[in-house]
Amino acid sequence: MTVPLISLNGLTKRYGSFTAVDDVSFGVDEGSICGLLGPNGAGKTTTFKCLLGFAKPSAGMIAIAGAPVRPATFASLAYVPERASLYDSLTIAEHLTIYRRAYENYDDARARELLALFDLSPSLHAGKLSKGMRTAVALTLAFSIRPRVLILDEPASGLDPVHQRHVLDLMIDAAANGAAVLFSSHQVGQVERAADSVAIMKKGKLIVNSVIDDLKTGEKLVEAVFAGPVPDLDGLARDPSILRIEQAGSTLRIVTREDSDAIAARVFALHPKSIRTIDLNLEEIFMNAVSGDGR
Amino acid sequence: MPAIFTVDPRSGVPLYLQLIEQIKRAVALGMLAPAEQLPTVKALALELTVNPNTVARVYRELERDGVIVTSPGRGSFVRTDGAGIEARRAVADVARAAFEAAVREAKSLGLSRAETQELMARTIARWYETENA
Repeated sequence: MTVPLISLNGLTKRYGSFTAVDDVSFGVDEGSICGLLGPNGAGKTTTFKCLLGFAKPSAGMIAIAGAPVRPATFASLAYVPERASLYDSLTIAEHLTIYRRAYENYDDARARELLALFDLSPSLHAGKLSKGMRTAVALTLAFSIRPRVLILDEPASGLDPVHQRHVLDLMIDAAANGAAVLFSSHQVGQVERAADSVAIMKKGKLIVNSVIDDLKTGEKLVEAVFAGPVPDLDGLARDPSILRIEQAGSTLRIVTREDSDAIAARVFALHPKSIRTIDLNLEEIFMNAVSGDGR
Repeated sequence: MPAIFTVDPRSGVPLYLQLIEQIKRAVALGMLAPAEQLPTVKALALELTVNPNTVARVYRELERDGVIVTSPGRGSFVRTDGAGIEARRAVADVARAAFEAAVREAKSLGLSRAETQELMARTIARWYETENA
């Protein structure tokens, strides 16, 4: 069994009476990309801060490459915060110099290649850059140290679509070379494309953690239209494989977790005028998860 | 390998199933020839901008289904024996599923059996007309 490069076990972080992160456990394996989704205030950034040792957990365990976070961890860990912190009075080239001196694994050729990819000139002063360009510099620095662990908070925010795609390709390349990547995003489509697993947080709790393709295989929407009002569902509502039921007039919509055929058969027995089963994409699964009662 | 694969990550159909179907289709239609080498997991992941573990899963399942063979250090290749048979079976499965979806849709739209049969007969006549002529 492989030890996940990133692991959280029962992570809890309280600020006074407010619980920002509530008993969260998951891991990211070597070669894996995990997308962290959640509405604002779900606890994503606090989770990152705990992972990096910037905030002390109230309870629970965190390990990077099987060990607690310590200064040496940062030799092979790269973190890009949502708002990139750069030295405004220094040029991009001077930032690269700092990295060359600070990181043993720093790869200057790689850094120059990434600057070109993001259309950035090394002579620009950091203070003159737009938010997206600052993010691109921070990403360049992060990937130039060939990290084994990458933690990226909204890594594509402020970037144009072409550069956003480059960010996904950088994560894919790093994972293909064995790195573990954990990134948060508000763009479900990015997670759906680049990540193999997803973690969804809501109000500090982890409500979904799964391989994305398995999630898609499992969750379906069964939609039935009746000639009149929707008949009595006869205990269907208590079926554990049903995540959500909506009724509007003569339309019944049921989101199922597993075995949608069995649910469809039971609905069919109620003689609907029409019935169909629809594959749910990650955005719909996400919306169902965060808008539900939290199960 | 020619860039013949496209995936739609926003679809509700899992990415690995989309890719498996497309590769089997390419083998069945001869776009991928027996003994032809497939790209590495990393190369295909980067070409399509999809997760490398997803591509690795695709290759594992294609190997299990007898469509490709992977030898460590050399790469993945379309099998010279039987790959076409399995791929044609898979493509027939796709056709069957599409057919079934069409009939189910017709039924759910309230068409009668006779109307559905009539529609189907007309569709078949249009697409196979050159063979009848």
